[in-house]
This record gives sequence, C-alpha cells and structure tokens, in this order.
Amino acid sequence: MDQPRPTGPSEPPAALSRLLEDDPADLYENAPCGYFSALPDGRVVKVNRTFCEWTGRGSGDLLGTRLQDLLSVGGQVFYETHLAPLLRMQGAVREVALDVVRADGTLLPCLVNAVEVRDETGAPVLVRATVFEATARRTYERALLAAQRAAAESEARSRALQQVVSELAAAVSVRDVAEVIVARIRQAVGATGAGLWLSAERRGSPRRDRSVPPVELVAVDGIAAELLREMEAAAAGGAELVRSGGGVHTVPLGAGLRAVWPGLAAAMEDAGQEALVVVPVDADAVHLGALLLLLGGAGDSGLIDLSEPGQRGTLPAADADLLWTIGRQTGQAIERVRLYEETARQAARSTFLLDAARMLASAGGVTDTAERLAELAVPRLADLCVIDLATEQGLTRPAVRHADPAQRAVVDELRERHLPNRGAAHPSVQAMTENRTVWIRQVTDEFLAGATGDQHHLELARTLRLASLVAVPLTTGGRTLGVLTLGADRRRGRFTSADVEVAEQLALQVAQVVDKAQRLELETLTSHTLQANLLPPAPPPVPGLAVAVRYLAASQGADVGGDFYDVVPLAEDQVALAVGDVVGHDITAAAVMGQLRSVYRALLADRPTPSAVIGRLQAGWPLLGMQRMATALFATLDPRTGQLRVASAGHPPPVLVAGGQARLLDVRPSRMLGAPASTVPAAEWAEVLAPGATLLLYTDGLVESRTADLDAGLARLLAAAARAGTSDPDALCDRVLDELARGDRADDVALLAITRLP
Amino acid sequence: MVFAHGFGCDQEMWRFVAPEFAVDHRVVLFDHVGSGQSDLSAYDPEKYGSLDGYAADVVEICRELDLRDVVFVGHSVSAMIGVLAVQQAPELFGALVMVGPSPRYVDDGDYTGGFSRADIAGLLEQLDSNHLGWSAAMAPVIMGNPERPELAAELTNSFCRTDPDIARQFARVTFLSDNRADLPGISVPTLVLQCTADAIAPEVVGRYVHEHVPGSVFTQLAATGHCPNLSAPEETAAAIRAFLSW
Repeated sequence: MDQPRPTGPSEPPAALSRLLEDDPADLYENAPCGYFSALPDGRVVKVNRTFCEWTGRGSGDLLGTRLQDLLSVGGQVFYETHLAPLLRMQGAVREVALDVVRADGTLLPCLVNAVEVRDETGAPVLVRATVFEATARRTYERALLAAQRAAAESEARSRALQQVVSELAAAVSVRDVAEVIVARIRQAVGATGAGLWLSAERRGSPRRDRSVPPVELVAVDGIAAELLREMEAAAAGGAELVRSGGGVHTVPLGAGLRAVWPGLAAAMEDAGQEALVVVPVDADAVHLGALLLLLGGAGDSGLIDLSEPGQRGTLPAADADLLWTIGRQTGQAIERVRLYEETARQAARSTFLLDAARMLASAGGVTDTAERLAELAVPRLADLCVIDLATEQGLTRPAVRHADPAQRAVVDELRERHLPNRGAAHPSVQAMTENRTVWIRQVTDEFLAGATGDQHHLELARTLRLASLVAVPLTTGGRTLGVLTLGADRRRGRFTSADVEVAEQLALQVAQVVDKAQRLELETLTSHTLQANLLPPAPPPVPGLAVAVRYLAASQGADVGGDFYDVVPLAEDQVALAVGDVVGHDITAAAVMGQLRSVYRALLADRPTPSAVIGRLQAGWPLLGMQRMATALFATLDPRTGQLRVASAGHPPPVLVAGGQARLLDVRPSRMLGAPASTVPAAEWAEVLAPGATLLLYTDGLVESRTADLDAGLARLLAAAARAGTSDPDALCDRVLDELARGDRADDVALLAITRLP
Repeated sequence: MVFAHGFGCDQEMWRFVAPEFAVDHRVVLFDHVGSGQSDLSAYDPEKYGSLDGYAADVVEICRELDLRDVVFVGHSVSAMIGVLAVQQAPELFGALVMVGPSPRYVDDGDYTGGFSRADIAGLLEQLDSNHLGWSAAMAPVIMGNPERPELAAELTNSFCRTDPDIARQFARVTFLSDNRADLPGISVPTLVLQCTADAIAPEVVGRYVHEHVPGSVFTQLAATGHCPNLSAPEETAAAIRAFLSW
C-alpha cells in the first residue's frame, strides 16, 4: 500500500530553494517595501531600489538628503515633533503615517517603521526604516475621517440648534430673543458679526402704499460701528433684508453689491468681510424681519483663519439649512413673546384706565383734572402728555408732562413757540378741527419739518426723539372741549392700536369730567360776579364825619348774604344811614337785599324821614315781590349839628359810644319789613350826637351766635365798645369784630360806625 | 528652573537636559494639560483655545510651588507660552529661555513664518492620519485600564500619544497663534536658542524673535532639526548655562 508521499512545505522544490537562498543584497534592493538608513540628523546614507522606484528618485539623488526634506510640509513637522523625539526616547517607532514627495511632486502616502541603532554608550548611530506604501489605506482613512468630521459637524449643528431652541424658550421679551439669537447664530456658523432687523409694523396694520416697510435694528453682535451704519442705511432703504420669505441668501461682496449699495460694500471691504448672509425670520408665513450675518475676517478665537482671504464668503449648504431653521425658530419665539408682552400690556392698560377713572372721579376743577391726568398718563401710557383746552380766549394748555425731567424745559420752550402759531399740520390742531383721532404711527423728520415753524423749532422737536404721536379730541355732547396729545419716544417704541384705543377711552372720560368741571366753574364764576355787584359799596367821604364799614359773610355758602349798610350824603345838612338784614344768608337773601337797597336808594330822592322810609317800604313790600322779610334801621344825621333821627323795622338797637361809655339807644322797633303792615307809623327816635361820639349800627350776626342769646350778645357788644376807648370808627370796628366775630360765623355781619368829628 | 515641552510629546523631551541643572537648581517638569501623563479630564476647550490658557497653568504651577526668580525654559510653542506667562505674572520670572521659538508660523505680508495656510492645513491632516489608529485602537486600552499603566507604556509611540481631539486643538492653537505683538513686552533677560536647518522654526524666525525681544541673547546651535534638547542635549545645556552665568 505504497502511497506517494505528498511534497510538504517543509521540503521546497529545488528551484524555490534557490530563490530563497538568494543574494541578501538582492532581497534588500528589491524587497516589497522601501528600506533606507539615515544618520541621526536624518541624512540618508543607504536606500533600496524599491524606495527609489516608488519615489521616482535615483539613489544618488536621495543619498545625503535629509529624510525630513523628502516629506510633505505636514510630514516634516510631524517628523520634528513626533518621529525624531520618539526615536530618541524609545528607540523605535511603528506605523507612522507620512507622505513622501515623489520626484514629480506628487505624494506617496506611506507607513514608516523605524529603529534607532545605538552604540555601547547609548548614543544614536543610525536610523533604519522600512517604508510601506499605504495609498489605499490612507484613502480609506481619509474617507473615514471625512465621515467622522461630517458626523461631528452635523452633531455640532444639531447641538447649536438645540441650544438656540432652549434659550429661546426662556426668553420673555423681543429683546431677549434678539440677544440670544445674534450671539448664538454667530457661533453656530462661525460668522464674524450678526444683527437682527425686525419690521416695525405689526401684523394686521394696513399699509397704504407698497413702499418699503420700516425696519428697526433690535440687537447686534460683533459688527463695527461704521459697518453697522451702512447696514442700517441699507436695511432702511429696503435691501435684501425686507424681501419677504424665501430661503437663506448669501450676498457676496462683489460687483452686484457694489452697484446697489456702494457704501455698504466699501464698509465691508474695510472690515475685511466677504459676504452678507440674509436669514429670513418668519412665523407662520408672516415675514417679521431678517437676521444679517457677516462672513470673513477673523473670528473671535484670536487664531489665524486657515482659509485664504477671499475664500471665506461661502456658506456650506448644511449651515444654510441650519440658519433657515434658526430663522423660523426665531420668528416663532418673537411671535410668542410679543403675544406675552401684548397680554401684559393689555393688563397694564386696563389697570391704567381704572386708575384714571378713580382719579377723575375725585378730581376738582378743570386745571386740576388736566394736571392730575397728565401725571397719571406719564409714564404709564406715554412719555409726553399735553392737554389743550378750548376756552373763550382760544386754546390753553393747562397740563404738560414729560417722563424725562430734562426734557420738560424743551417741552416748555416748544409750548412757548408753538402756542401762538399753530400750523394746521399739527396733529393736535387737526384732531380739534376735524374732530377725530390723529395717530402719527412713526414720527419722521419729514413730519417734524411739516409740523414745525422754523429751523430752531424743528431742532427742539427733534430733541424729544419722538417715535409716535396720538392726538384725541376731548368731545362730549357734540362739543369739542380740547385735545389730549400723547407722545412715545424711541425708548418706548411706537404706539400700537391698543394704545390708541386706551387714549380714546381716556379722552372720553376726561371730556365728561372736564365738561362737568367747566359747567361748575362757569356757575361759580357767574355767581361770584353777581355777588360782587351786590356787595355794598364803600361809603363816600362825608365832611364832619368819620365813617367805617365792615362786611363779613357767613363762613359757609355764598360770598354775599342778606346784610347791608348804606351811607348816602343827601345835602350839606343831611346824611342818610341804613343797616339791614334780609332773613337767611344765601343767594336769595343776597338778591332780596340788593333789591331792597335799590328801592331804598330810590326813596331817598324825596329825602323822607327814617320812619317814612319804613312806612313806604312796608307799603310797597307786596308790590316788590320780595321773597324774604327783613329787619332794617334807617337814620338821618346832620353832620354840622349832630342832629340824629333813627327808626327801626324790627332791628337791634344802635350803640352810642362816647367818653368811654357805651349804651344802647332806646329806639322802639316797629314790625319787620314784609310782616303784615301796621297802621301805626314807626316811632322815630331823635338825639344829638355829641362831637367825638360814635354811632355804631350793626346786624344781628354780630350779637347772636349759635351758643349765646341776644341779651348776652348785646352785653358783650357794649362791653367791647366801651373798652375800645377810641373815637376812631375804624379802630372801634376792628376791636368789636375781634371780640365778637371770631372763628366760625353762622350769619353775615354788617357793621357801620360814624363818629362826629369834633 | 521650569522646563516646558512643546507641541508633540511630553516632559520626557527634557530627559537629557533637565538633569544637568538639577545639581544647582530646583528643576520642575510638567506635562501640558492634554499631553503626556496629564489629567485629560482637566482639558477645557475654551481655556486651551488660546495659548493664554497654557500660560495661566504655568503661572499657577509657579505660584502653587511658591517658585521665585524662575528660569522658564520653553521648547517650541512653550517659548511663546513662556512669553505670555511672563506677561501675566512678571514678578515670578527671572529669565526666559526660548528653544526654537516662533511667534507666528504662517507667513503674513513681509513677515516670514515659514508656512503657508495650505501647509498648516496639510499638517493638521497629517496629524489626523497619525492619530486615527491611536484613537480607534488604543484609546479603549488606555482608558479602560487606568490601574495598569504598563499597558499604556507598552503602546507604540507612547511618549507622544494623546487624545486626537486634544492634539488637533493643540496643533491649531500652536500653529495658528500670532504672538508677535507680545514680544516687545518681555521684561526679563531672554535667550533665543536657534537650531540649524530647523524646518519648524527657521533661522529667520529666530532672528525676528531676537530683534523684537528687547535685550535678548541669540545663540545659534550647531544642532539640526527642531529638538536640540534630544539631538544635542550637551550643546543645548551648555548654551543655557552660558546664558545663565552671563
């Protein structure tokens, strides 16, 4: 069973054996890997043919060349920083990836293993290295790295988006949203600067023309002032920014941009920026504004940008997608916080109107109402509040308020300049004359120029930095009483339609209160004018007599009551004197008193005796239609002789003061005027008033009080008059009033003192 | 004396030089955070996003060890870290030795740094190639067996290993910084050690540093390459000695 023995690997065929015993030199030269030896400083001292062939270099070219000089720049640095130190420290390196530059300049990707050969002292003598070609492996590795990087970038983008979303969720104001977004969006795509511009008009506010809607810068990060100015100008002028919707636009710094916005292009060039990226900010298909990013220049890291200048103005598609998503998120966040802010504002408006109603209910006169209202409106509703009221003298301004005390002087000066010269273009005047609300949504320079008189006036108006104005007429029952003008400055921002509604409601409330107050003031004024005419006139000078009069109205009620006094010189030898008191101390009493005094004066033409005066008045009373009864005391006095005649119609007796004594004259009173008439004429009392003596006539307000009866009052009067010890009627009046008419008076007091001069 | 290693390896770079000075100096060696045996968890991308972060560590080491009149020997990028450390805490330092310094590697107008932007991009890619294998294969071994440091020691190229992300960042910070403006502010005696045929820091760059650091001493070494501390430790040590005794 002889089987042929198979030829095993342990016994190579003869030809193979010959090959295996080949010349070691041939093995070195033609090995399937590159071999070389180099001195410790890298100079190649031996190299095999394989390496020469791979690199396309002859051995003569390679010998004496430093290994590092054969490498790509990156390889050189790696050689210096890693390979050479490792060889020195650990004597060997394995699988180091290097690119050898071939003779034709192309790169040969290799893996290098090397050992350092040392002498007995450990000093390096030689470096031996093997080189394996690794083109396929490196291609694979590069693809792997690229995939890893793409994954990392994608993760970074999704992290950036998550961060933006979570920070936006915490924002409670448009400013918060804007600040979050400009800072984060720059980081997300490595932009040098970012700014957020929003349309100044809210959704639903109709635009009459198709011009560029106003936009405003809400937040900015990393944009130099000069460039920002140009961007603002372009934004206001309706650049890409205002395009509605669409995708993310990259606008390179090129001929197109230079043609349309040369200033912006120049500023970008100065700042080293290479492109503008416009990211639409939309919410539910409503275009709110745009984020503007700048690409190019140095970033924040302080490190040198690896991309060459001129290559930085492009945006990877994935970044553009990220920006588009962030733009949408921003839009939604803005809508959310605006809704939140509007709700809060609505609540504040309701509270404000309630407070205004409460305040108006307790307000006094017109000016007081206007002032308190202006105080309430600033700063809760507006930064500037002016209330003009129409009066017979034209418009007046009872109230002007500004939130900033420093601006009040400006407002005052404006008021000075403006009042006498009201142009028809002024919103307050328009509101008055057209009887409608005038709302200047955005105060522009053109508007100010039209509404002001001259350059200085315009400058003044500019300093108020008004953003918006609203003028509402104060109307009630078809009458326009005035106009309420409110201004918002740029810090507050423009008035919304809700603000205007509040202003209108406020104006309605104010109009009603002002109307009521104006009516009341008119009545009061009328009453005061009439009463002033009813007051007894000052007595004329009478030769031979010193006369003093006093009139005190009751503490409550009208200025004039029913009391009066009268001094009428009739002839050289006769002066008619009278003191009276119509029952009551209201306006009716005053009216009756006025009438009584007129009738009495008319009677004096016949120079009647005092008792005849009473008789005639009693007889005429029913004919005169007097609504009240009255007491009165009439007298005639001859200044030359002192002959005095007195008659009383129910009036307290007069007092005679002479030589430190005071006594009541025993004048017997007849019935009160207006009481059923008596057939008996009033008794007449006659005496001679001695020189230096004083006759004191008064009404019962002086001697009657809420707490004491008439007799006690008369006793106090006599005592006071006696103590006065003076023949000066003025001093006597003062002394008597001081003692008897102090504090609250329930009734009027009239006092007439006549001294016969010695 | 504080010895600081450059981009690439770790404090072992000073193994032949530092002992020369241990006889008459207190010698302090350390690994920058992210390199060598440093605590990788202390790496903060923001702090180490600029050389100032590394310089702050140097200042902190000096203060922690209560060092005074420090001779700071910085190799390669650590030369600039030394410049910034002196700027941050001038009171701590007595002298600065810069071995193969470059304030800016990328050419800029009239300034020659030796590299174009494309060169640096190629370098960063080269580093990625060499760290790929490490991160894929070796990281789990090292990270998973902290109690067996010999595993790490056995690894290929162990002295220069680090986390590839950190290495990439460190490379970016090293090769993309521009510290030219910091040079005139150096207030301590300074030695510029310049190698021959140094591909990383060419002589023209060393001369630039020497011209811009007031009163600096320039010493040209015969040693070639970028690491005289390894390739010519005696010459390097002698040059430093000569400077210190000067």
